[in-house]
Amino acid sequence: MVLLQPDPFLNELTSMYERSTEQGSVWVTLKRSSLKSKVQRNKLKTAGDPIEYRCLIRATDGKKTISTSVGAKDHQRFQASYATILKAHMTALKKRERKDKKKAAEGAGSKKARQGS
Amino acid sequence: MVYITSWDEFVDRSVQLFRADPESTRYSMKYRHCDGKLVLKVTDNRECLKFKTDQAQDAKKMEKLNNIFFTLMARGPDADVAEAAGKDPTEAQATKKGRGRKQ
Repeated sequence: MVLLQPDPFLNELTSMYERSTEQGSVWVTLKRSSLKSKVQRNKLKTAGDPIEYRCLIRATDGKKTISTSVGAKDHQRFQASYATILKAHMTALKKRERKDKKKAAEGAGSKKARQGS
Repeated sequence: MVYITSWDEFVDRSVQLFRADPESTRYSMKYRHCDGKLVLKVTDNRECLKFKTDQAQDAKKMEKLNNIFFTLMARGPDADVAEAAGKDPTEAQATKKGRGRKQ
């Protein structure tokens, strides 16, 4: 598990998406964490100090895992860059087709035939 | 695994889940370019909510949800700014309207 700074993490995430276009998946997990052990947290609670929470982000392509931790100050900048990366790579999803259900069915059928042969 | 069909229900229940237990709730996303599928999962290790899609429009909705989760997790579960901005513009506007009366 590699813990990186937010910017190198974003670069690695981009290359992960690029590598997984032909096969494989990319998992990204978000979890809130203070990155302190329970003992330390209890100590901070009794001392009356507010525990600083961070958002832990993990990404894996099944083989390699990278992670980063984002605090309240950097989270907006990180989330903007993260959204850009996602938009740029999630191009395989279907566009909405309200009309021409027949055409969609035909298109899917012919695509499957082409992929089969 | 519970697959939720309605996006709004998925968002409401996952935020509820997070607010109830911010320490153990996590949000996962799996994307397969070769299949063109996106699966979202929110769990607190007791209950699990999932949402799968292959629609580009859901990717945009997911980005908004990402923003909500980022804010909740980094700022704290009491941060209702993200949810207010994303879901209930009326509550935010109520305070703003009061200010506009200065003339």
